[in-house]
Amino acid sequence: MSDTPLVAVQSVSKSYRRGAVRALRQVSFVVQRGEFVHITGPSGSGKTTLLNLIAALDLPDAGEIIVGGTDLIHLSSARAAAYRNEQIGIVFQSYNLFQQLTAVENVLVPMIPRRRFDRRFALELLDNVGLADRSEHRPAQLSGGEQQRVAIARALANDPPLVLADEPTGNLDDENSRNVMSLLCKSCRERGKTLIVAAHDNYAMHSPDAIFEMRAGTLTSHVRPSEVQAARNR
Amino acid sequence: MIWGKLIFGGIGRRGLEAIFAWFVLGAAVAVIAASLMVVEGAREALSRAERLDRPDIVQVKSRFNRALFETPQSGNLAPLTLPVYEPLIDPENLMAAGAVDGMVIARQSLFRNVVSNDQFLNIYVFGIEPELERDISTFSIARGRFLRNDDNATAVLDEASAHALGVDLGGTFPVRKADGEDLTLTVIGILDAVALRYPPPRTVEAPSLVPNSSFVSSGAFVTLRTSEQIFGRPTLTDVLVVAGATDRVPLMVDQLREIFRLEPGVFVTERYTQFRRKVQDFSLTLGLFGILGTATALLAGSFVANLLHDVYVDRRHQYAILMGLGFSPKLSLLPALAFGLILVLSGTLAGDLLAVVFGPRDFAMPSLMSDLGGVMPRFDVFVAGASLATAIAAMALSLVPTLWRLLRHPVATTLAGEAR
Repeated sequence: MSDTPLVAVQSVSKSYRRGAVRALRQVSFVVQRGEFVHITGPSGSGKTTLLNLIAALDLPDAGEIIVGGTDLIHLSSARAAAYRNEQIGIVFQSYNLFQQLTAVENVLVPMIPRRRFDRRFALELLDNVGLADRSEHRPAQLSGGEQQRVAIARALANDPPLVLADEPTGNLDDENSRNVMSLLCKSCRERGKTLIVAAHDNYAMHSPDAIFEMRAGTLTSHVRPSEVQAARNR
Repeated sequence: MIWGKLIFGGIGRRGLEAIFAWFVLGAAVAVIAASLMVVEGAREALSRAERLDRPDIVQVKSRFNRALFETPQSGNLAPLTLPVYEPLIDPENLMAAGAVDGMVIARQSLFRNVVSNDQFLNIYVFGIEPELERDISTFSIARGRFLRNDDNATAVLDEASAHALGVDLGGTFPVRKADGEDLTLTVIGILDAVALRYPPPRTVEAPSLVPNSSFVSSGAFVTLRTSEQIFGRPTLTDVLVVAGATDRVPLMVDQLREIFRLEPGVFVTERYTQFRRKVQDFSLTLGLFGILGTATALLAGSFVANLLHDVYVDRRHQYAILMGLGFSPKLSLLPALAFGLILVLSGTLAGDLLAVVFGPRDFAMPSLMSDLGGVMPRFDVFVAGASLATAIAAMALSLVPTLWRLLRHPVATTLAGEAR
């Protein structure tokens, strides 16, 4: 693992409604390359806001976010789009699939800006998430769990170093939640991705490298199980 | 394929709204185009009337000399050279004033008795500036050529005059000058049609191309230099002044009247006032049509914009997903623009076709006092441009709120706000 963190969040604050709602207050943390991070906390604690900022879908009021050496605060909208397309893959809670496209076409969509249509790779990704035989199905013909698996494949379509998942199991039942999380972790682990999952449920991630707990917009707990284990062993 | 689906797919229940918008747009464009075709046809009728009437031309003429009627044929008088109009207009006076804002076309209109086949023949002789005169009058050359500015002792005759004089191309005929000497003119061109602008009245038997015309329709045309030799003086019988712009005619007329205020035998006449009276009713009706067409365009365009707006609002989430997946703002909006453009272009095309196929072939403008001829509706670049502009404006109007939402708000807000 490189010493330079992939994600560095420094004193980030964000508020909405002209300061009436303070979503994040002075949040700071780093994520190393290849790490799996679970951001947990109750609804409204700022998890989604934090992921949106790391995904350059929004801008913080204060602080600094650097991902892979890119300062997200000063990106133009076009550069931010390029960053989203090349550096990160996003898995949304509500899947955000195009209903008019088939599963494989949904996976191909992120490749459009790069003008690199690799249908074989898209099919391979679908195969990895167990949907090889459903590649020509439209989202309406798939279950919620299957749709989220398509979303996972789409997040990996451009081979980004960082994958962000915002409540990826929020709309799924227990069994599907476990399956989807397992597939997400497996897919990212196999491809050496860094994964940040924001989820309030307990079975969000197996053996994360770090668990950040958020409450009322602040990072209340910052645990690295490996370090805890190492301390215990000592 | 994916682009096609991104542009047209996923419209869902708004599909019917889009189709309805297309039909409304087509119908609106058809009405607008048909109205504009009538307006364009009417404008053409107006400009045709203006080309024919030439209200931009002001005539300055000397008083008419009634001694003209006493021709040598009566046997009481010796052969005389008499002008149609008295030569009272001093060109120096006209030019020196410098206040005339227009092109000055000078004329000397003469009337001569020519000895032909042992008899006197009455013939009109016009001293003209050939190149300027051709801008306002029509001369159709049947044989030979027309006059040039540097020609001297040459003439162009109409067929009737040539026949009466018994000459043909290359032939000659004598014209008595003011000093009593004869000037021999060589015929260099024969005309089969003549339409002089502001011709002098026909007051005596003379060869005529247009039978029973009250105006002179034939004669011998010579250069002004030649006519000055015949006439023996440079003063003009009549002058036409062409205004740079039609609406400057009243001012020009005032200037000309000021120049000739001390010369009671010179009259300044214009057709501008009469023409304005003639076309005023027509112009008002045309303006009313224009207002109605604009109002229709605004109403129909707003309705179409409203329908399309609903379609776009429904599709904002898709455009936001594209932005979320890393499409640049321009690329994210491409499906929206393409959808709108394809819809309005095809709708406009259909509407224009409807207007052309089912529009009126001819149109009688209601309540018109003037007779400007038939109004022939026509489809031209202006009609096509105006109908397309209406459609594009409707699309732009419908798209602006979506553009504003997508470009001025964070992607996260749009994704969350438009999530279904």
